[in-house]
Amino acid sequence: MQKKVLTEVSLYYGDVSMPKDWEIDQNDLAHHILHSSLTDEKLQSSKTLDKLNTYIREHIGLEYDIHLINKETWGNIYKPAETTIPLLNIDPVDLQNSPDYTLLYGVKVDKCFVRIHYDDNRRKGRSWDIPLLNNRFIMFPSTQMYYITNNQQDSLNFVQTIIYEEMKR
Amino acid sequence: MAHFAKISETNEVLSVLTVDNKDVLNADGVEEESVGQAYLEKHNNWPAEKWIQTSYNTSGGTHKDGGTPLRGNYAGIGKIWDEDNNIFYDKKPYASWVLNTITASWHSPIGDAPALTTEQENQNTAGTHKWNYVWNESAYQADNTTGWDLTDALA
Repeated sequence: MQKKVLTEVSLYYGDVSMPKDWEIDQNDLAHHILHSSLTDEKLQSSKTLDKLNTYIREHIGLEYDIHLINKETWGNIYKPAETTIPLLNIDPVDLQNSPDYTLLYGVKVDKCFVRIHYDDNRRKGRSWDIPLLNNRFIMFPSTQMYYITNNQQDSLNFVQTIIYEEMKR
Repeated sequence: MAHFAKISETNEVLSVLTVDNKDVLNADGVEEESVGQAYLEKHNNWPAEKWIQTSYNTSGGTHKDGGTPLRGNYAGIGKIWDEDNNIFYDKKPYASWVLNTITASWHSPIGDAPALTTEQENQNTAGTHKWNYVWNESAYQADNTTGWDLTDALA
């Protein structure tokens, strides 16, 4: 008897463990997100963002043999007690130009949760909740709908999103 | 061209970059690893001490052209950097295998696989069989005098 996996919906998550004194500068990322939000300009590329992006691509490639190409990135600020509308980063009528993976990174977050929706065969509409912590990333297929919740009353949550295309070898 | 391996926090090789020879020369025009490391730190956002020079021509502890080998093996992505022994090697393939730091390679605790017989070699050449010895860790754990299983991939 044999088994063939035809499709897989996996979450990849973990801390960004940079070398000592080379940690991701969360203040710098938050500053860029704030600037982009206030000016309504595209997020500027920065050394910090490049450091994060490179870390993710190299470690996901090494651990899971998934080779990612950066498509786009943006930052969001979520108000206290805010829950986003359902978020989906693929365009159902333009799948060819849609991303393969969505990555969320906790820049400055407190009680931030991500709810990811998925189907388990005939068990439709299931969801998985996972906390997004500071300096932690969560990556999942962009075909999955998700929500982000700021589940406290006092502070803003800063979240960086990066969408990737997978380079098939 | 000089090659440098980018090392992760867990001493795995993340990538290998090529640096122009002129970017590894010190003020006296002599190649120096620390110059290349400083160059990579500046341009690649990763600390200098986590860039380790590696040689494309080194494998199994020897230099393919008879020169001086550098750090056991060329540092391919996923290889392990062993700072204590100053070598790169593959991940440990089986729990019982032991590292030879001279050849920077793993070896079974009972030695290499037995040689194939002449008959088996001939059958392999003829393509009627594909005899090969593969390591059986469970067998070794049960009996420390065994471990190599003879298999025929065409069977």
